[in-house]
Amino acid sequence: MAAITLQGVTKRYGSVTAVQALDLAIHEGEFMVLLGPSGCGKTTTLNMIAGLEEISDGTLLFDTTDVTRLPPHKREVAMVFQSYALYPNKTVAENIAFPLKLRRVPKAEIERAVAGVAEQLELTPLLGRRPNQLSGGQRQRVALGRAIVRQPSVFLMDEPLSNLDATLRLSMRSLIKRLHHQLKATFVYVTHDQAEALTLADRIAVMRGGVVQQLDTPEGIYERPANIFVASFLGSPQINLLREGLPRPDWVAEGRDVIIGLRPEDVARPGEGLATLGGRVELVSPLGSETQLEVALSGGSVTLRVPKDWRVREGEALEFGVDPARLHAFDAATEQRIAP
Amino acid sequence: MARRLMLALFSALFVLYVAGPVLWLLSSSLQMESEITAVPPNWLPPHPGLHNFSAIFSAGDSAEYVNRGIAGFLPSGAANLLPSLYNSLQVGLWVAALNLVFSLTAAYAIAVIDFKGRRATLYTVLATRVIPDIALVVPMFLVIRNLGLINSLGALVVTYLAVTVPFTIFILISYFEGIPRDLYRASRIDGCGHWGALRHVYLPLSLPALVAALMFAFLTSWNEFLFALVLTQNVAAQTLPIIIAGFVMDFTTSFSFVNAAGVIAILPPVLLAVIFQRYIVSGLTAGAVKG
Ligand SMILES: Nc1ncnc2c1ncn2[C@@H]1O[C@H](COP(=O)(O)OP(=O)(O)OP(=O)(O)O)[C@@H](O)[C@H]1O
Ligand SMILES: [Mg+2]
Repeated sequence: MAAITLQGVTKRYGSVTAVQALDLAIHEGEFMVLLGPSGCGKTTTLNMIAGLEEISDGTLLFDTTDVTRLPPHKREVAMVFQSYALYPNKTVAENIAFPLKLRRVPKAEIERAVAGVAEQLELTPLLGRRPNQLSGGQRQRVALGRAIVRQPSVFLMDEPLSNLDATLRLSMRSLIKRLHHQLKATFVYVTHDQAEALTLADRIAVMRGGVVQQLDTPEGIYERPANIFVASFLGSPQINLLREGLPRPDWVAEGRDVIIGLRPEDVARPGEGLATLGGRVELVSPLGSETQLEVALSGGSVTLRVPKDWRVREGEALEFGVDPARLHAFDAATEQRIAP
Repeated sequence: MARRLMLALFSALFVLYVAGPVLWLLSSSLQMESEITAVPPNWLPPHPGLHNFSAIFSAGDSAEYVNRGIAGFLPSGAANLLPSLYNSLQVGLWVAALNLVFSLTAAYAIAVIDFKGRRATLYTVLATRVIPDIALVVPMFLVIRNLGLINSLGALVVTYLAVTVPFTIFILISYFEGIPRDLYRASRIDGCGHWGALRHVYLPLSLPALVAALMFAFLTSWNEFLFALVLTQNVAAQTLPIIIAGFVMDFTTSFSFVNAAGVIAILPPVLLAVIFQRYIVSGLTAGAVKG
């Protein structure tokens, strides 16, 4: 079992609906990221896949087997928690060995497996320690080790990196990516960090209020956001959204009430084939390789990222070019994308 | 400085107040009857000796104790003391062990498993302890009689479980709720069923609370008087408190003998407390603060 299919999966806590009729087909060997703001139902979805939360409504399939009512220990999934969840009374070695011990794997085989995993995750010198004698990054590697030692075909991760500092997060991110290549297992990864999602995912499901807003590749999500929520959730700085002041793309019907979106980096020097816009520069923030600008247009102010050689000064007027094909258009009432 | 002195003074007074009766019990258990009743009292035994204790352990042939005038006389039920001590131990250990089995599983279910009516279950269990024991004596007597358990150790074990299990469930639940939920989740993912999660996560991480529960159950049944009085009739099932209380109902009371019996009654709980003392403090405060 490696492909995961959710059909109309719903979770209700009393009157609160945490996840609403979720349809999601996760392919075998895929790295699927569930991305969304706090409280949107990511953890709940993951826990339902794991069997840790009962499914109120709908069906969950592993390949073609219905596992909706199967308890977690029969589902053969591995999971990594944000809090690491290491057994405090067990050593690192015992923590990693625990899933195998429960499966009555012969002792010699367990030792071999633990040694192999420890080698892979650089935990060998720490095997005799207890979790409270480890740093956060080491703990998270132990948690990873406990998950991979079983060689499961499904991996669930709930914000595994959010308790780590920025540098560690980067190195752990590439470790996880490497693990995915090596293990060829299906990964479902929960995060609210868009950079993590964009770098790791084969596909991203963007969630909001228990509903999937868009399911697509990282590129698709970024380039063709399905609605205003997705457009503004991804991208840093945020996409500029204006009712007026930006040119209307030619695929938008005349007279339709729309909101136009412009990614801060989608600007150039005025030139051939570009729509030219102008405004007063209100703020200049040099970022090293680039410069971030606040520019007041007729319909409101926009944030732009421009090469540092533009040499812009606050208070001056600025003219810049925009490729109309790179603009995003959304219906003002439904907030849905208007595709070219 | 004055503050510290006052503090020390009041502490000393308090210790005296708490420990005084116990010290007097110890001291008088080593004295002869005439020395105990002397005026002014002998705070320390003038001729310390173990005669009272040897009288307890040889209560069958009491001639020496009486005739040599060491203590004067033996209470009428003296020969029952050792059997009742054994009864008390048996009841206490059974109650402690069974209590742990029942309250551990019940507390796990209520604290961990999300079933309909878990709060209601907890409140119902706790509500049974709001009723004073004296109101329960007669119904309990009828239940026990209909079970055919009157005058058996089983009667006491069943009754004491009913008294202690609700409290220990409560202690354990508050302790369990302080154990991170993710540990439970991890254990389920790793392959544990509910029994496995109980054994591998909740049991090892709640040792202090378990020891507190054990102590509580043992001490409660060790000290219990009311139910034991009603539910048992003779030495086959009577416990230490009943027998010792019987000594002072004689026409005259042998204080030397009674006090020696009292010392013996104190020993098992004290032993338990010493053995488990490093767990007790954290266990007794378990319900107070989560985490
Ligand atoms: N046991 C519960 N009882 C009631 N409501 C709950 C419970 N667990 C979660 N919820 C609600 O369900 C919704 C989704 O919660 P969930 O934990 O899945 O969010 P999340 O996307 O993981 O958020 P975060 O990024 O903060 O972890 C939230 O509104 C939350 O308040
Ligand atoms: Mg979450």
